[in-house]
Amino acid sequence: MAAVDYLLHESAVGYAIFQVVHQADTIGNRLKEVQDAGQDLAKFGKMVKVVGFAPYRTAAEALENVNLVSEGVMSDYLRSELELNLPKPSKKKKIVLGVSDKTLAGSIKASFPGIECETGDTSEVVGDLLRGLRFHAGKLLVKLQEGDVDRAQLGLGHAYSRAKVKFSVQKNDNHIIQAIATLDHLDKAVNTFSMRVREWYGWHFPELVRIVSDNHTYAKLALAIGDKQTLTQDSLHDIAALVNDDGDLAQAVIDAARVSMGQAISDADMENVSAFANRVVKLAEYRKSLYQYLVDKMAIVAPNLATLIGEVVAARLISHAGSLTNLSKYPASTVQILGAEKALFRALKTKGNTPKYGLIYHSSFIGRAGAKNKGRISRFLANKCSIASRIDNFSEDPNTKFGEALRKQVEERLDFYATGTAPTKNEDAMRSAMDAVLGDIQIDDIPMTDAAPQSEKKEKKSKDKKDKDSKKDKKRRHSEVNGDEEAVEKKKKKKSKKESSSD
Amino acid sequence: MTDRSVRDKGDSRGGRGRGAPRGGGGRGGGAKGGAKTIVEPHRHAGIFVARGKEDMLVTKNLSPGVSVYGEKRISVENSSGADDTVSKTEYRVWNPFRSKLAAGVLGGLDEIFIKPGAKVLYLGAASGTSVSHVADIVGPTGTVFAVEFSHRSGRDLINMATHRTNVIPIIEDARHPLKYRMLVSMVDVIFADVAQPDQARIVGLNAHLFLKVGGGVVVSIKANCIDSTAAPEAVFAREVTKLREERIKPLEQLTLEPFERDHAMVVGRYVRSTT
Ligand SMILES: C[S@@+](CC[C@H](N)C(=O)[O-])C[C@H]1O[C@@H](n2cnc3c(N)ncnc32)[C@H](O)[C@@H]1O
Repeated sequence: MAAVDYLLHESAVGYAIFQVVHQADTIGNRLKEVQDAGQDLAKFGKMVKVVGFAPYRTAAEALENVNLVSEGVMSDYLRSELELNLPKPSKKKKIVLGVSDKTLAGSIKASFPGIECETGDTSEVVGDLLRGLRFHAGKLLVKLQEGDVDRAQLGLGHAYSRAKVKFSVQKNDNHIIQAIATLDHLDKAVNTFSMRVREWYGWHFPELVRIVSDNHTYAKLALAIGDKQTLTQDSLHDIAALVNDDGDLAQAVIDAARVSMGQAISDADMENVSAFANRVVKLAEYRKSLYQYLVDKMAIVAPNLATLIGEVVAARLISHAGSLTNLSKYPASTVQILGAEKALFRALKTKGNTPKYGLIYHSSFIGRAGAKNKGRISRFLANKCSIASRIDNFSEDPNTKFGEALRKQVEERLDFYATGTAPTKNEDAMRSAMDAVLGDIQIDDIPMTDAAPQSEKKEKKSKDKKDKDSKKDKKRRHSEVNGDEEAVEKKKKKKSKKESSSD
Repeated sequence: MTDRSVRDKGDSRGGRGRGAPRGGGGRGGGAKGGAKTIVEPHRHAGIFVARGKEDMLVTKNLSPGVSVYGEKRISVENSSGADDTVSKTEYRVWNPFRSKLAAGVLGGLDEIFIKPGAKVLYLGAASGTSVSHVADIVGPTGTVFAVEFSHRSGRDLINMATHRTNVIPIIEDARHPLKYRMLVSMVDVIFADVAQPDQARIVGLNAHLFLKVGGGVVVSIKANCIDSTAAPEAVFAREVTKLREERIKPLEQLTLEPFERDHAMVVGRYVRSTT
């Protein structure tokens, strides 16, 4: 075993090369000595000396190097660092470099013939020296400041791990949870603030509130009119623009201003009322844009669920479950009463009736059902929501096809309760949705729906599916692409059986 | 510490979803509104006990206001100073039925090495439910390197870690510690709950690279995962022998009854030197 001359230390901040300066006399003593010094900076600092340090210059470079190192590959950056800092080997004696990983050692030896490598496996002394570096490198590398290594580890740990799990920023549902919560708060805030505007401006122009009751319009008018004395017939156009071009309404405002009972207002007072009204109008506009953002975001993250039940209710479901993944794991019976936990547990305790619906009550479907059908449609809708959330969560790139089909099914079910018109058979509804999705796939070749991985392996799948086909479902005679359809339909089959037995 | 509780928070399911307009919105624990709870430090630094109707293990929430997996939160008013300013501390309930470390602590482990300021290498982090409590215990000056190889659990782990900056998520196989050597420092303790037959070897590999001499090893052993035919006691004994071969000196062993069946917690100390 040759004595080790240099050590390579790879860390979250960069590559460092150390020279082993203190060589002990005998191998036996050596290990003991290194182990004793390992945790003592003063002693260890005398054994090694920094000869080169190549910090990563950007986060991207760090990630790239960490990925290569973890695969045992020498990056160009590491190569130039080694070239720069290791002396040229003489013919007689090779340089011995201590490295953590034998695969990386192989890559290094392959491109530096004069270098011999030892790892922790081949030499325990090397293992302990490298442990010592892990312990003290943060201090030995004088360029580093306290906490640098920790921060680098944290950033890199996230970057490395996110890449591993293909963490998609686009499909991140956290933003939906935040947006819907913000939206709810904004609604409340805009409402209370608008009431303030009405009360405040009402001292000056009490008649206005009777002409326009909508909060947002009122605030906009208050802002535009200002001191009512300034309002003349010439303002008709400007006022009308604020009330949906309703000329009569605008005229009514102008007439009311002329004969208003309200008190006169000083400029300073008016200025404050206007400043406040302005903020309220801005806030209401922001609320609108936030809502649009939520709609757009839902179209990316959960398009089917949003199509089925509407963006807001869909977002509330996701928010209440904690994530789309959580929601997709819930049974439909849980989805049905999500948001009504309090009522559920009260009912369970008192052995009373359990609630029929939670958050999904706010979907328009429930409101449209007759009183005695509300519970039934709620259960039906929850089933569909559960399916939609699963499609959304487990598809690589979901679209709205299934959402549309599911929505239509709920419509038909409502119709059935009201008029007795028989709904489309579930099998047919799902098949046409599936066909629509597959049609798209052929055009742009993007795998979709929850069975997406199967469609990539179409050939193989459809072969072993065929055996099952013949057993399970004799009617089916699809070729080629039926892998996807199968999976979905089987799921649907079970569902519809359940539904018909419970309806 | 003379802390007085104000109220229980959180509801019985997913803790993040509040704001339901009707029904279950607001605070789910409302029924317990006035319950007085006193929080006292546990024998192990960084862990606390909430004394109420029943005693509960709790940890100080590193990101107040947020539950990680729907666990209950308890907010406590610290005794006010002369100027009447009241500060609040929030704790999260640590359920021994869901976390083996909590079960071990309740079972009376003498030493767990996990304490404020400690660096912990956590193998088998899963979704990060237990990890979040370990992060609470080590606090802002400590670090938890959380290793998990399942991508699905890994996503949750990463999400949890975004709210706890002392947790470094590492999605890798703990069998190949060299792959994540750039992300880990020397640590004070390794906690392992990977539920694999070769767990002892995995712990050894990681200890040789990352564990300080004299550092702690805490492993949870599920007898079934290692050998489902042998008697649990025999399995535990064999695992202890294997740990010894990895230069880990066993200190104590504890079964996790009544929280888990045929589980044991083994605590040891890493003695690297062979002499
Ligand atoms: C019993 S669970 C851990 C539960 C966790 N300690 C808790 O109390 O919340 C075991 C975890 O170890 C993970 N695991 C198993 N083998 C692993 C390995 N070789 N490397 C990393 N993680 C592993 C599994 O994916 C699983 O999530």
